[in-house]
Amino acid sequence: MTSKPSSRQSTQRSSLGGEFFVPAALALITLVYLISAIQLGPPMKGGNMTASFFPIATAILMLIALACAMVHALRGKAKAPEEEAAANAESSDDAPRRRQYVGLSLGAIGVVVLTAGYLLAFDLIGYFVATFVYVLLLTGLFSGGFREKWLTKLIAAIVITVAGYLLFEVVFQVRLPTLWSQ
Amino acid sequence: MDSISGLLGGFAALANPETLLYMIGGFLIGTFFGAVPGLTSVLAIALLLPLTYSLDVTTALVACASIFMAGMCSGSITATTINIPGAPSSMMTALEGYPMQQRGEGAKALGHAALGSMIGGSLGALLLMVMAPLAADVALLIRTPGKFSLIAFALIVIIISQRGSITKGMIATLFGVMIATIGIDVVQPLARFTFGTSVLVQGIDMMPLIIGTFAISELLIQADSRSSRTVDPSMIQAAKVRRRDFIPPLSEVREIGVMRYLKSAVIGYAVGILPGAGGSMAAFVSYAESMRSSKHPERYGKGNPEGIAAAECANNSMCGGAFVPMLTFGIPGDPTTAIVLGVLVINGLQPGPQFMTQQLDLIAPMFASLFVSALILIPLTLYLLGPYFLKIVSIRRDVLYSSIAIVALVGSYVATYSTFQMALALVFGVLAYFLRKQKYPTVCLLLGFVLGPSLEEYCRRALSINDGNPSIFFTSPDSLFFIALTVVFFYFMVIRKPKDRGLGTRPA
Repeated sequence: MTSKPSSRQSTQRSSLGGEFFVPAALALITLVYLISAIQLGPPMKGGNMTASFFPIATAILMLIALACAMVHALRGKAKAPEEEAAANAESSDDAPRRRQYVGLSLGAIGVVVLTAGYLLAFDLIGYFVATFVYVLLLTGLFSGGFREKWLTKLIAAIVITVAGYLLFEVVFQVRLPTLWSQ
Repeated sequence: MDSISGLLGGFAALANPETLLYMIGGFLIGTFFGAVPGLTSVLAIALLLPLTYSLDVTTALVACASIFMAGMCSGSITATTINIPGAPSSMMTALEGYPMQQRGEGAKALGHAALGSMIGGSLGALLLMVMAPLAADVALLIRTPGKFSLIAFALIVIIISQRGSITKGMIATLFGVMIATIGIDVVQPLARFTFGTSVLVQGIDMMPLIIGTFAISELLIQADSRSSRTVDPSMIQAAKVRRRDFIPPLSEVREIGVMRYLKSAVIGYAVGILPGAGGSMAAFVSYAESMRSSKHPERYGKGNPEGIAAAECANNSMCGGAFVPMLTFGIPGDPTTAIVLGVLVINGLQPGPQFMTQQLDLIAPMFASLFVSALILIPLTLYLLGPYFLKIVSIRRDVLYSSIAIVALVGSYVATYSTFQMALALVFGVLAYFLRKQKYPTVCLLLGFVLGPSLEEYCRRALSINDGNPSIFFTSPDSLFFIALTVVFFYFMVIRKPKDRGLGTRPA
């Protein structure tokens, strides 16, 4: 008896998340933007628009729209929590709901971390090593690990790295950073 | 005469082996991206964008046009055979194609889809060649206040065409406009929103925004999925098609009728001109009209080739229409034409009323590519690759998305040879991921980013002409026309909403 309400509450909390917090985060960004726009100077000077007018107007419109979105999210929750929770459960992937951190799934966090690491390594250790390692780890991430077909993944990483090099450096003459050019 | 010879010169340009190779290559890439569920032709063109730094502008435009055309028709492959539309524009095709597949007529349904795409695509390209110069003449009449009202009209229509999520469309558009204001002011030499960093003074480049919004965010979304292949191999076994069955019987083509093809092509073209409408809207409107005017509306939803013909004819004809506002006014109405605009801007070209006459030699091969892709490559690809389509699109996801990641990230590096652009692509990718998860239309973000600077520039110029008095927008006839048009569109799309008639909810 006691488990049902608590599970419902947790579902409500999680389904409110994105619908409310995405506009909330955007509102925060917009506020910073608005303050910066105001710091640019008065919006009108001598009857003409200045550089701050358009950003200020855009930010105000944006804040109004975001406020509407947040109110809509809150009202939606208050009106039909069960329906929404059911819809959310249905609309998500066919698999059971995956654990999320700050709105990102584990897989998405993996891609972000790997990509950020790749960007750091790209300049430091060059295209070849960075790309090979990045692709190898990505193939592992997209196929759920290295336990199966690790040799195929290794070959795929080598082929993609070489193909990328041929495409950019040879065909399109883009100078890619290399370990020996650092 | 000059424009006719210029347009014919476009066809002659396709005889260049390199250009031809890029057109065919682009078509095959577009077919693949359009057919694989989850990938779109927009993503294909987005990945091509960095390469345009090294490509000749004509070649790049030719490749973009063939990708666009291929992406529109190839979504019907998986829509028909396994009931998973490869692209949103093929959703109506799935309604009719899959029931045909279930009764063993999948190949014939694909044949009808290809025929409709071929007719619609060719007619759309022809209409583009005929109408674009006329539209350019009209565009010359529009002055600064009118240009502001036109861009405002385009943005408002883009927002209100996001049915059911107008607020989200508005937020995404305004966010795009905000991003576009970063950097040097459009009128005076003043850096805005740089937050003390020199890297933002030049503003945000279109490339990392496009790569992030369409490629990186897709990687993040796909990282949630656990299937090993893009299409389940067991579904391929159940959906075998034979080459000889592709040709639709003449009796069925006659029953569909020339008028239906023509009407669908005109609908698709007209919808293409509208900002934000796109292929899915074209297919939807044409399908609904086809059902309304059909002698046998009861057959719709049960595997009727009429529905396939109407939907596919319209979404391919849309390709031609979508280029009209981009080329004549510099206003892209959908992500594909926005990226094509990016290709032009990268090469120092700015579309506008004079563009069609002054740069026809650069643009004509793109028109020719649209036409040839529709008339020759669509049926040829279906005939040659048709039986193997499903095997081709069923590939390992780990290999596919790793390859996309490399092309996207290294492609972002190309513009400035700096990892800052790659980092920006990642930032925009994460941002777009959150927006997409909450059903914010990222296409609005892109179009807001593209049109925002022009909106601000024309607004400020128009007001400076009239000493800051906004009445100029209501006294200038061209501006007044677009304001009236905005009101009309707002009335019909928001106040008097079009009815779905349950088309989208009918079980496939």
